[in-house]
Amino acid sequence: MTLVLLQNLLDNCAFAILLGTMLVYWLGAAFPRLPYLEGIGTAGMVTANLAMATLLAARWLEAGYFPLSNLYESLFFLSWGVTAAHLVAEAMSGSRLVGVATAPVALGISAFGALVLPETMRDSAPLVPALKSNWLMMHVSVMMLSYATLMVGSLLAIAFLVVTAGQSVELHGSSVGTGGFRSVAKLATSPAPREGSVAVLTSTTATLTPQRLTLAATLDNISYRMIGLGFPLLTIGIIAGGVWANEAWGSYWSWDPKETWALITWLVFAAYLHARITRGWQGRRPAVLAGTGFAVVWICYLGVNLLGKGLHSYGWFF
Amino acid sequence: MNFASILPGWRRFWAQELLPTLADLRLAILLLLSIALFSIAGTVIEQGQPVGFYQANYPEKPALFGFLTWRVLVGLGLNRVYSTWWFLALLILFGASLTACTFTRQIPALKAAWHWKFYDQPRQFQKLALSTTLVRGQLPGVAVALRQRGYRVFEADNFLYARKGLVGRWGPILVHGSMLLILAGSIWGSLGGFMDQEMIPQGETLTFDHPLERGVWARVPHDWSVRVNRFWIEYTPDGHIDQFYSDLSVLDQDQQEVKHQTIHVNQPLRYRGVTLYQADWGIAAVQVRVNQSPVLQLPMAVLSGVQGRIWGSWIPTQSDLSAGVSLVAKDLQGMLLAYDGEGKLIATVRRGMAVDLQGVTLAVVDLVGSTGLQIKADPGVPLVYLGFGLLMAGVVMSYFSHSQVWGLETSEGGYLGGRTNRAQVLFERELMQILSGLTLAEPAVAPSPESGKTD
Repeated sequence: MTLVLLQNLLDNCAFAILLGTMLVYWLGAAFPRLPYLEGIGTAGMVTANLAMATLLAARWLEAGYFPLSNLYESLFFLSWGVTAAHLVAEAMSGSRLVGVATAPVALGISAFGALVLPETMRDSAPLVPALKSNWLMMHVSVMMLSYATLMVGSLLAIAFLVVTAGQSVELHGSSVGTGGFRSVAKLATSPAPREGSVAVLTSTTATLTPQRLTLAATLDNISYRMIGLGFPLLTIGIIAGGVWANEAWGSYWSWDPKETWALITWLVFAAYLHARITRGWQGRRPAVLAGTGFAVVWICYLGVNLLGKGLHSYGWFF
Repeated sequence: MNFASILPGWRRFWAQELLPTLADLRLAILLLLSIALFSIAGTVIEQGQPVGFYQANYPEKPALFGFLTWRVLVGLGLNRVYSTWWFLALLILFGASLTACTFTRQIPALKAAWHWKFYDQPRQFQKLALSTTLVRGQLPGVAVALRQRGYRVFEADNFLYARKGLVGRWGPILVHGSMLLILAGSIWGSLGGFMDQEMIPQGETLTFDHPLERGVWARVPHDWSVRVNRFWIEYTPDGHIDQFYSDLSVLDQDQQEVKHQTIHVNQPLRYRGVTLYQADWGIAAVQVRVNQSPVLQLPMAVLSGVQGRIWGSWIPTQSDLSAGVSLVAKDLQGMLLAYDGEGKLIATVRRGMAVDLQGVTLAVVDLVGSTGLQIKADPGVPLVYLGFGLLMAGVVMSYFSHSQVWGLETSEGGYLGGRTNRAQVLFERELMQILSGLTLAEPAVAPSPESGKTD
């Protein structure tokens, strides 16, 4: 069938493009002066994103339902989500360091789907009765998007930890608005008039110039913003699952391992968001929590299915 | 000691000791992470198994990690983490912390954001990281640029204040409030609701006499019942189960039908606060005719110790019951296997067909299914759903960054500065764009300071 051929072509393409993209980002980080690399990296991510979107669309056409019913589809949806979240984070930060951290993860996920997963696991199978609901699309897709966004946020926190290794730093961005205030040592009080701004200066006023964010502060803030985006998605995904469960079998919460781990993920990132506004906890400590969140998301996404128990155990090979 | 003398002491304890401790963010983080940690324990240790299971898997010697014997495990309640008193206490403490935090932190923060002030001193701008000096006459241009970017701008004399994203200050309050609603709703549900699971053969009637679980305030209905008219399974062409269906009638006290509905998975029946869900299924009986006998209905039972679920029944082939065959079915598609006394497969027979076995003609008339219904009444659901709705709105609102910009013009020159509480990077970009759009004078930009020295 041509759709199957197309799918095989697309998943291998996505893998190859992501491999190239990752190398471009790494090369760009190692040799910042090389021209064009930034643009090529972004273009690679966009292409991989479109290839995976086409792959999922082809599966949707073929099976007739939203392509999130088995591990293969779910892996490519996740990888697609990571590339999408990457593009958002890159546009927000304007830093190519984002790709250094996100490209290998997107690559790893698509490699697992395209190369490791046995052929028989890729076929789309008919949905079991419990999954025949519009809530499937709502719940599972929002959950996957939240995983992807939170992963990118966590990766940026890890990148922040690497960039600031051995330093102590002040945080910018939290709901109470720590940061935003000038660090006194940095106040530009140079009395020497500068060319072009003479009109501003008199002997009585000090020059006041904006104090820009550092690279570390930018990474940290974008990490915070991505987690801030993933957290509502996770909340909505969990609630959609709860409402679905209540409509389908009468209980919005049953402490099933998967939903418990979704709650654990939610709690860890809630702790991160609160750690940012706690005096004495600012600096690298919240980023460590966010970095831990990366592992927690993975346990929630795949690890729980290793237990093979509960309501979410179908459609997997473990 | 009278009551009046205790009260001031209690008040002081409340205001100076208890409330600050409850509102302490470190306590909130500790609670969040402890709930997470104990939840992890609940997913690692099998929950709700019989004691024998824990005796076998968590022996006294050698104890797991040197201490986790089955006695310790069961004693602490780690076999049912989510319903232990200490886990529920943790949740209640969490609710108290949420409430305290809302009143001591979030509402004051909202008030502070609400009651903004113009900056009238140059030194106020020096405190802001993103602040710069302007040329006289640039402030109106700033106001226009801010309005274009969605700011609400307030101007008076030589002052300017602009803000956007105030909704981001409301968000966290809504999040905390909605979580309290969800906690309250779930408590109400567990006290005032009931739950039951029943296997009802086709044609029989379900009553609610002995629910599996019931809250102390639960009202179990006695004035109506539900009849299972029919249960069936639809299969896909390749033999997979497509969907389970139960045709149900709600009967009043006089056995009169008051409601009729066919339910399936994801499509329950609701009546007077009680919901019936399609949860399970089984084979209740097989209808057979032996030689010229009338149709006999023989119950079928689940056979244990075999892979998958299989139902079986025994049919005598001698009038003194000295011999017979076992009929076995694995689904309602109509295929039955017949085994003799030695356990040897002797025939397969389909519904509506007959087969000669041990000298008799056995005709299978039909298989009677039974439907597994989950019955649930949870009066807390409306409250929980309200909490869900507000929580979703709250977390989305919390994404917005509350950005504020101040401007001042003095006889010496102008000042512009601003800050935001979440999106520092985008706010910085926005403000720099506004500044670079001002044609009269380019603001000088300081080089990025090293992050390590900012402490």
